[in-house]
Amino acid sequence: MSAALATRIAEDFAAAGHASGDLQRQRAMQALTERGLPTSRDENWKYVNLRPLEKVRFTPATGEPQAPVTAQDLPALVAHYSRYTFIDGVFAPALSAPTPNAGVLVKSMKVAAARANPISTPDLRFALLNEAFATDGAQILVEPGTDCKTCVELVFVATTEAKAGASYPRVSFHVGAGAQVGLIERHVSIGSDANFINCAVDVSVARDASVKHYRVQQTGARAIWFDTLTARLAENARYQLHSVNLGALSARSTVHVQLAGERSEVGLFNVSVGGKNQVHDTFALVEHIAPNARTEQSFRGISAGRARVAFNGKIIVRKGAHGTDSRQSLRGLLAGTDAEIDVRPQLEIYTDDVRCSHGATAGKLDDNMLFYLLSRGLDRETALRLLKWAFLEDVVAKIEVPELRRQIEQSLAGQLNEAAALKELF
Amino acid sequence: MLKIENLHVAIGDNKVLNGLDLEIPTGEVHAIMGPNGSGKSTLAHVLAGRPGYEVTAGSVTYDGRDLLALEPEERAHEGVFLGFQYPVEIPGVNNVYLLKAALNAKRKHRGEPEVDAFEFLNLVREKMQLMKMDESFLSRGVNEGFSGGEKKRNEILQMLVLEPRLAVLDETDSGLDIDALKVVANGVNTLRSPEKSVVLVTHYQRLLDYVVPDHVHVLVRGKIARSGDRTLALELEKRGYDWVTEEAA
Repeated sequence: MSAALATRIAEDFAAAGHASGDLQRQRAMQALTERGLPTSRDENWKYVNLRPLEKVRFTPATGEPQAPVTAQDLPALVAHYSRYTFIDGVFAPALSAPTPNAGVLVKSMKVAAARANPISTPDLRFALLNEAFATDGAQILVEPGTDCKTCVELVFVATTEAKAGASYPRVSFHVGAGAQVGLIERHVSIGSDANFINCAVDVSVARDASVKHYRVQQTGARAIWFDTLTARLAENARYQLHSVNLGALSARSTVHVQLAGERSEVGLFNVSVGGKNQVHDTFALVEHIAPNARTEQSFRGISAGRARVAFNGKIIVRKGAHGTDSRQSLRGLLAGTDAEIDVRPQLEIYTDDVRCSHGATAGKLDDNMLFYLLSRGLDRETALRLLKWAFLEDVVAKIEVPELRRQIEQSLAGQLNEAAALKELF
Repeated sequence: MLKIENLHVAIGDNKVLNGLDLEIPTGEVHAIMGPNGSGKSTLAHVLAGRPGYEVTAGSVTYDGRDLLALEPEERAHEGVFLGFQYPVEIPGVNNVYLLKAALNAKRKHRGEPEVDAFEFLNLVREKMQLMKMDESFLSRGVNEGFSGGEKKRNEILQMLVLEPRLAVLDETDSGLDIDALKVVANGVNTLRSPEKSVVLVTHYQRLLDYVVPDHVHVLVRGKIARSGDRTLALELEKRGYDWVTEEAA
């Protein structure tokens, strides 16, 4: 981090009145000052565009946009999910409806909640920035044994120009033993401002609990989106994280999952589609700490135009994590001559008796498939769109919320949702 | 309907077709036979417009138009259909979607409205029964995990739904057991009419027991070496290809 950037962050911190605020905030700021933000010289940050940070005002936006946000501005509701909306990181009760499930407590988080997962690696430093500045957030506490498979939807709306203020979505999500929860988390923009969004999500899943977490990033075409998600799984816990990256000019997501309990299982399913001059970069680290845990990781990325789409999937198997079973399937598709795809599987294994498989490919569309479709009379544009869709389909199909999947399909492939409708006739 | 004159085609430096002449009148079924590597599949692909083949001389006229000037999708719109020897698997695109998109592309080209959903389903169901295909095939990915025989049936199903005027079937009989062969042959016979022509590219005469051709041509080293009626196919079955090859030399 350049000295100028560090100084500006410190000034904005003081200007926000945070310097005399709570201790946790100050500690985060102090740690950030000592460690700095990553630069493109950092190994795991070379694909991300960090330059826009130079123009950001880090002071939190107020959550009171010039034009009021209405329900019509937001994505369509998903049945059985209770929506909680945040404008520039600040809870908007008028656009929210509480969950009827007594076992699920959702609180607006005016004061920072204690993190379940410490910010343990240098790659998580953007979470420090969030912790130093965020003024609100969602704290979700799920009682042990709660059944809430279709549960909560968080909608984070960015409305403010980065020069005026930043948006700090924050989620603290703790799931009690044996509970079953579905969480949707969306990030959108209203207006065409160049928003700066820095998001931090902290997840803990207690023993025998099962979580399906769907994240959709559809921020505006000029938005800068930084994101840090940490999760820790206890014994026999299951966590599925489905991430769909479509929006933003520059998006970076850093994920760190710790399989701390024996027989815990994580599924990371990531789709990233970039066009024009978008940059999408994901770094996903899974740490196998306990024995007999499983990881399934799938990535499907398409890069068109002059876009760059990168995915770095790293799995570390710690000493003692015997019986580890991890599978990686990372596939990138180049859909333009000026586009770039970077797909990188990494394995670090410090124990015996593990099964780790990985496959990574980056390539162009299959000419045989294209010719087959053309020979049936499909025009080139439709055929290409269909093949791109087909490339993503196996990972998108894992999204078990039909409306959400359909909304994503619609965004991805326009008229292709017609195929899904026809499918149901048979 | 189709007139091929002095057609020369190369794949890279390899000359595959060397002055092929062939005329297929409307309403006729012609079989193209020949040993491996004689250029049968190349001919089929060139007619459908597959990239990678260089036409170095000659012409192909379809309904009085220069077929080679058309893009593959335009050929399909004009009623040309290629049945693939190795149908391509496209996971993630389901069969019914492809069928509907293909049919609508053709209708759009003719200035007709999109097919009505129920009309379409009835049409597809009828053709599937003919091909003895289970309806579950429709919701599966295009040819995904299909057996060899299922893939070939799927090709013929597509052909029947699209009702081409010129069907070029590239070794549609290869890899089929006798029951599947009969089903496929029945499908081809259903298409047969005074307005439609069929080119059957095949290595064996077995298919011709069920789809009786009007003419049989033997391709040797990229040229028609001999033409005749269906008795030529029977003769080839008995004597093999060597004598035609030797004659051609």
